[in-house]
Amino acid sequence: MPPPLPFKTSERYTLGVELELQVLNSRDFDLVGAAGDLLALLEKVPHPGEIKPEITEAMIEVSTGIQHGYAGVLTELTAIRDVMVRQAQRLNLGVAGGGTHPFQEWQDQRIFSAPRYRYIHDLYGYLAKQFTVFGQHVHIGCDSGDAAVWLIHLFSRYIPHFIALSASSPFFQGADTAFASSRLNSVSAFPLAGHIPFVPDWTAFTEYFDHMRRLQVVESMKDFYWDIRPKPEYGTIELRVCDTPLTLERSAALAEYARALARYLWEDRPLEPSADVYRVYGYNRFLACRFGLEAEVIDPYERRKRLLSEEIGYTLGLVGPYASDEAGASALQHLREAATTRRGDSVLLRERMAQSKSLSDVVRWAAGLWMHGSADGNSG
Amino acid sequence: MDLSFLPRFPFALGDLSVIALILLAGLGTGELFRRVLLLPRISGYVLAGVLLGPGTFGLLDRGMLEAAQLLFDIALGLILFELGSRLDWQWFRHNRWLLASSLAEIAFSFSLVWLLLGALRMPLLHAAIAAAIGVATGASVLLVVIHDRRADGPLTDRAVNLTALNNVVAVVAVTMLLAPLHLQYRPGVTTLLLQPAYLLLGSILLGYATSVALVLLARWLGKREELQFIALVAMVLLTVGIAKALQLSMLVSLLALGVMARNRDRARHLLPVEFGPSAQVLFVVLFVLTGAAVTLGELAAGAGMALAYVLIRLAGKLLGVVMFSGPSGLSTRKAGLLGLTLMPMSATAVAMVDATARYYPQFGDRVASVVLGAVLILELTAPLATQIALRAAGETRADANGR
Repeated sequence: MPPPLPFKTSERYTLGVELELQVLNSRDFDLVGAAGDLLALLEKVPHPGEIKPEITEAMIEVSTGIQHGYAGVLTELTAIRDVMVRQAQRLNLGVAGGGTHPFQEWQDQRIFSAPRYRYIHDLYGYLAKQFTVFGQHVHIGCDSGDAAVWLIHLFSRYIPHFIALSASSPFFQGADTAFASSRLNSVSAFPLAGHIPFVPDWTAFTEYFDHMRRLQVVESMKDFYWDIRPKPEYGTIELRVCDTPLTLERSAALAEYARALARYLWEDRPLEPSADVYRVYGYNRFLACRFGLEAEVIDPYERRKRLLSEEIGYTLGLVGPYASDEAGASALQHLREAATTRRGDSVLLRERMAQSKSLSDVVRWAAGLWMHGSADGNSG
Repeated sequence: MDLSFLPRFPFALGDLSVIALILLAGLGTGELFRRVLLLPRISGYVLAGVLLGPGTFGLLDRGMLEAAQLLFDIALGLILFELGSRLDWQWFRHNRWLLASSLAEIAFSFSLVWLLLGALRMPLLHAAIAAAIGVATGASVLLVVIHDRRADGPLTDRAVNLTALNNVVAVVAVTMLLAPLHLQYRPGVTTLLLQPAYLLLGSILLGYATSVALVLLARWLGKREELQFIALVAMVLLTVGIAKALQLSMLVSLLALGVMARNRDRARHLLPVEFGPSAQVLFVVLFVLTGAAVTLGELAAGAGMALAYVLIRLAGKLLGVVMFSGPSGLSTRKAGLLGLTLMPMSATAVAMVDATARYYPQFGDRVASVVLGAVLILELTAPLATQIALRAAGETRADANGR
């Protein structure tokens, strides 16, 4: 048996947020392969966090440092946003959230020139360009590999929450997909998509990973395109199902929810890992993507169907006391309102489209929202 | 036997045959250039015009060219409309150094050329007009290459905006400079002031009026590309027609139409201009006719001067964009590429020479030989330079066939 993979010990419940963003031209708000130019300017100015390229040239990724809750995440993201907007304006570019770009065509996208991305393009062909989708990744600190595995199994039950609350990709390649989040279909296309196997602890996971490596299916953890993935180098679990929300406030709120949920699950111990979670996983995931906050999902523990919006509202009520601070609690309250009124970002995008009848205008609106903030400080 | 039903020999080529000849010659030479010489088709079209035109083999005389003038005007109108509508004032506001770059390239290309022509013993006023014409980048070449290669990105955007500004300045400057010329040939201080004022203000007003009509029409028609294209062609023709009838500047009116249509269209009723197959027909005519304006004989006489003009103008533009490249957010390498994209001179320059010559035929000849010579040299070289520059900046895209 191989020695367990080293897992960096992190402070429990610390947060890191990564956002993948759309780079747009200011004329018709189509995607434009200008991330390289924007990055060249950003290298010369000071900013918190990190800003990096992604697989295609119209994508740009920002990430925060280690944070402890809603307030810190929002402050850091806002600071990064402000620097980015200033430089983007110098190049006449726009930046927006949203899980997909409503009318980009994958053939038009160019692969960013870096060895890993070229490798992915060689291996996966058109899937690489199709991967021009924009997600939010949330890292949650764990103090051991065992804790990480345990938390992943429990979080898997709540995947539909995060999908529905962040869903912002109703449009794809110029059409309404009828999905709240069409982004995840691009992720599912990869052979190594899905979820962690139902292993009991970190040692068992190491065994699994080693086995997969010896079979030459994977080379590193990065080759797994799972919805939740352990990241032993950081000492975190990485939640990867969220679409990039239209506003920073929603991004920070989702991170706060993930953190509060982790605390609630760990300290209250209401549930233990169950294989049933993975039996309903694929179906629940699809329902959440398709119907968003209108979905009716299956509770694997109670073995019955529940309205997702109700379940989210209920859970937010349960985890409220575990918020990081007042600002965090308030953010969770706003999330609860969005869930119970069932007005997520995908609903807003569809409303905007109904109003203006132009996808170009929808993206222009979304860019305005992300770059300059919403009027009342909360999306929806 | 009564054979009066047979046509009389030699037969006169009707208007339609002229246009057919233009299109076929253009297509043929264009393809030849692309397949054999590996140069852009635009250069082939222009050469076809040069060969067919009155200056060389004379298959098309001036009278015949008049027939195709309508198509030329529509094509130029589309180009100038798109150019005006892509001028983004917001960007200049957010990036003051970009504005500085623009003013610098305009100032340098004008003054260096003026000095050169002055040094070559051209009368100052004539030199100024020739230099002012050179300030403008050939939007027809730039936009056709951009559409052809589906170019998009910060460099492309910059090239288009700088071109829009330098065209506005050039067209206004030439209009203003016509006034003192007026004085030379026909004395009268009031005409010195009134004529350019009338030309400028009248043309801007005309552009404004047609822009209002165009936006209203677009709103009524809805977001249908084909219908909006028809409306656009109609409005362009209307503008050209009224400009000619009222003796206003066609170029100023068309640019004003484009700029104002975009600015007034808050609700974005107007769709971006797409150059479909119908537009492509117009562009072949545009470039062939541009070539036909050049008389090879004149060119031969002033070839040295034309070449000097081209090089000094390029130097001025390069200097202007490189000077403020850093602060405006552009690397020196990309500033160099930007300079290349500003190289073209095309239909607008020909139209400006034409307008000048129409008012003052004697004067027209002197300016014409230098400027048109430069146009010919650039029509053969600049399309390729522009294409290479955009590709080197990584902003071109392959079309559906992967080309």
